[in-house]
Amino acid sequence: MDTNAILEAHRTGSWRALRGGHWLETVEACVIETQTGAQNRRPEQRIEEAELHADLKAIHAVTDAERAAALARDDFLARLDEGERDLWSHALTRSDAWVLCGPDTTSLRLGVRLGLGDRLVALEDLLAAVGHRPKLPLRRNYTAAWHRAERAAMALEEGGRCP
Amino acid sequence: MQAGFIGARIKAKREELGFSQEAVTRLLGFKDRQTLSAIETGDRRVSAEELLRFSEALAVPLDYFADPFLLAGEGRFSWRQSGVPAPKLDAYERDAGRLIALFRALGAEMGREPPLLRRTLTLTRASSYEDAVAAGERFAEEFGLGEVPALRLGEAMERDLGILVLMVDAVPGVSGAACHLPELDAVLINRREVPGRRHYDLAHELFHILTWDAMPPERLEDFAAPPRGRVEQLANNFAAAVLMPRAALDRLGPWDGLEGNVLAARLNAAAEPLGVTSSALRWRLVGAGLLPKAVAQGVDEALLRNNGREEPARELPPLFSKPFAELVAAAVDRGRISVRRVAGLLGLAIDDLADAFAAHGVAFDPGI
Repeated sequence: MDTNAILEAHRTGSWRALRGGHWLETVEACVIETQTGAQNRRPEQRIEEAELHADLKAIHAVTDAERAAALARDDFLARLDEGERDLWSHALTRSDAWVLCGPDTTSLRLGVRLGLGDRLVALEDLLAAVGHRPKLPLRRNYTAAWHRAERAAMALEEGGRCP
Repeated sequence: MQAGFIGARIKAKREELGFSQEAVTRLLGFKDRQTLSAIETGDRRVSAEELLRFSEALAVPLDYFADPFLLAGEGRFSWRQSGVPAPKLDAYERDAGRLIALFRALGAEMGREPPLLRRTLTLTRASSYEDAVAAGERFAEEFGLGEVPALRLGEAMERDLGILVLMVDAVPGVSGAACHLPELDAVLINRREVPGRRHYDLAHELFHILTWDAMPPERLEDFAAPPRGRVEQLANNFAAAVLMPRAALDRLGPWDGLEGNVLAARLNAAAEPLGVTSSALRWRLVGAGLLPKAVAQGVDEALLRNNGREEPARELPPLFSKPFAELVAAAVDRGRISVRRVAGLLGLAIDDLADAFAAHGVAFDPGI
């Protein structure tokens, strides 16, 4: 889960359903960015760090070696913010089944460039999978329709395989 | 995929530190110098392990090697400032450099490259102040700046000269800056200055941009002190003539026989519609031979403060510029830079980006 997706799930009152139905993980930088004063949002969501730690199945520390490996694989990574960069740096180390939930167009483009378009998932799809419909409408980039259209467009632009 | 930044950045940092290729080859443990040479020219990929070793050997964070939104040892600034502590100015220069690097990198990717050729003024250190005034007058005329040049100058610089002009919230004490890069020129203006000061700074920095190679400006210029050196005085004469062409002075005249409070009132009344400060107008009139120097010196400074207003003008131009807002909004939309990254570089909350761009008529929905 990236910072934006965690904040949106809280904003729309969907966090409880999300963490109850999925095995959620993130990286330390994203947890820091969810805290008051570091969200870079207005208004900010009130998210207790201790509760977040309890809700997430894992919060990964990312090493410089992992960041270097990700940068060496595709330096397009440098277009992302710190939390987004660390999340991808961590994801690229894994060999198990994982999906990445983040709404940013550039993060999506990176996933497609890396041939990992099928690992990208919309927050709306994660919520639908646990039968939750948010009381507040999700912002555009968290919807399944936007996510699908954007991934397809990116795949065409990048010349990669269609996700 | 490596876009070529990494090798170029390794070379830039190595040269900045004064290291030879042989020295870095030994530090990194390469077999021969050709390996490093191939990395620096982008002919050979850098492995993750090598990237880490470069980071340690050259004492820079990993991001330095791949961040396109960074001026890495490139570009020279000339700051109009007064009393700003060096560490504070250095830190601000890094932040300001990121805005310029952002525009450069995204512009190159999105078909908005700066002009291939640069315009220059044919002035040198040997030019007279009259030459600088004549150049300023001709500039205003040839670029169609009209009766109030202050209002059109920024647009002409962007549209006709390809100069990036940014309104910024600079650290206190910074009035403006010019930045010269191999492929782009930029002018930063502290938007919190009064309009007359902003316009004057813009014209002054324009002079530096147009004469950079012939007369490279000092990195620091103290706007509160009398102009030091010929280049700054030439810049002031050029700026005054661009903003206050002779035709405008004549239109706002006659000026003979005025002195004291009456002169101050006329200066204030004329300066406002021209978008200049009363004080700048006073010295322009002296330079144009329309006001005796002794009479100009006899005006009570207090009467000219804030162009005779009790309070400084409150008008605040929007942050950055329209071309900048258009480019960044389009780049986010097309997935060339993340919204969070943009917000961080611009020093704004994500939710304030739309308002900042809308102030220039640029629609933007971050979608997140």
